[in-house]
Amino acid sequence: MTPADLHYQVDVAHWGWSIAWFLWFVGIAGMGSVAYYFVRRAPLAYVIFGSLAIGLLLVVSHLGRWWNLPRVLWIMVINLDFNFNSWMLIGIMMLSVHLFMTLFIVIAHLPFLTNRFGWLGWTKALNASNLYLVLYAALGAGATVYSGFLITQAAGVPLWNTSLIPVLWVISGSVAAIAVLELLYVFGLVDARVSSFGVRLGMGLDVLKLLAVLGFLHVALSFGSAGARFGAELMTSGEYALMTWGGVIGIGILIPLAIGAYTIFVGKSKPLLLVSSVAALAGVFFLRAAVLLAGVWEPLVL
Amino acid sequence: MSTRLRRGQAPTRRMAHIWDASRCIACGACVMACTQANAPEMMFREEKGWKSLASNIRRIDSVSPHGRPELLLVQCQHCENAPCISTCPFGATYYDTDGRVRLDPARCAGCSYCVTSCPYNVRWLHPDNKLPKKCMGDGCIDLTDSGQQPACVQACPAMARDYGDLNDPSSSVSVTLRTKRSRRLLEATGSEPKFFVVEGSR
Repeated sequence: MTPADLHYQVDVAHWGWSIAWFLWFVGIAGMGSVAYYFVRRAPLAYVIFGSLAIGLLLVVSHLGRWWNLPRVLWIMVINLDFNFNSWMLIGIMMLSVHLFMTLFIVIAHLPFLTNRFGWLGWTKALNASNLYLVLYAALGAGATVYSGFLITQAAGVPLWNTSLIPVLWVISGSVAAIAVLELLYVFGLVDARVSSFGVRLGMGLDVLKLLAVLGFLHVALSFGSAGARFGAELMTSGEYALMTWGGVIGIGILIPLAIGAYTIFVGKSKPLLLVSSVAALAGVFFLRAAVLLAGVWEPLVL
Repeated sequence: MSTRLRRGQAPTRRMAHIWDASRCIACGACVMACTQANAPEMMFREEKGWKSLASNIRRIDSVSPHGRPELLLVQCQHCENAPCISTCPFGATYYDTDGRVRLDPARCAGCSYCVTSCPYNVRWLHPDNKLPKKCMGDGCIDLTDSGQQPACVQACPAMARDYGDLNDPSSSVSVTLRTKRSRRLLEATGSEPKFFVVEGSR
């Protein structure tokens, strides 16, 4: 299929690698916050904070007119004119709040700060509060969902106009969060108990992710419009086929599944866990990159 | 002179564009006139994503299943349910009182969400100021505010273009749509475009 009027969104709108990294960092931070509710370990809080900060920096640096952002925000606030129909605005607000909530948790984990500056003691109370951490986890999950709806709402790219994307992002974000915990265990930053629930849960999520990826491609190929079909063809047999089959499914799903099975039947091996978690994180990134880069407009014909 | 439409306010006019495919001779005068009027600095520069002249009118050449060459000219459809207005996080894209989709550069941070949100792929990023340009540009807004037709309508030698108020039953646009066969592009998106492709007599 080669329609005359075929344009890749990345060539015109320039939503490319930097947005793929942004979505990856948001996925790690978002579902990492859910994991934080259960494990409550400082290294995970640092990873979430770093991911959020880098993700937000990436998205601001991607703005073509970033230098105009303060003026834009000023006009919005002065006029109390907020477009809550836009997932991007909702997302920016969620990520900003999420960043501050994470900062408070990070401070609570830094005794040299809380001891020296006694007035920061309230952060420890927040970090010990179930309510705060439930809100924090909910906001994290919400931010991951937002990063899906962000591209779902882009009506120009039919491949993206499916509610499967937020679902896929949540599943793959969860895979990434578990991979981060495994990595922290491999480097001795959390104990074995924290990572012990990860293997089986990770394998279950890998299977779910595989189903969701195949479902996403199947729906676009079988029932999508010409633009959605062409985008899915780019992912399955075109320019991004290697990224999909090799990166998303091979590296991102099959390798962690195989290592997970080995771990269950033979036993835990740190080098293998390292390979498994890096592969899972890479797969989550490849998924976001492939879906973004394969976005094309609906071909127009007379 | 048209101004920004306030929330809940209805437009006083519903200005629409017509392109008559049965009259168009594919000379490209409208495309050139558009760039000349709205982005003269781009006259000899390419829109890299489209691989064509940077213009608010995009030219699509194709071949029909019967082997006949076909042409389609598209531009901002000034949709009545514009996805770019729904998605713009900062309210930079807005309706004016003439029902046109406009851009306020002061509110634009260059996120390109409007570009990916447009089903018609008719926005392009200006390489110098990174604004998502589209029909109607500043030149044509000045022309229409002074009671003239947009540059593309004025330049067309085949009278294949028109611009007018759908709310006015006596406007040339309304008369054409009543008397000729026409259609809108990608209606399934629900964007309610106000760009009509005239296909010939009824």
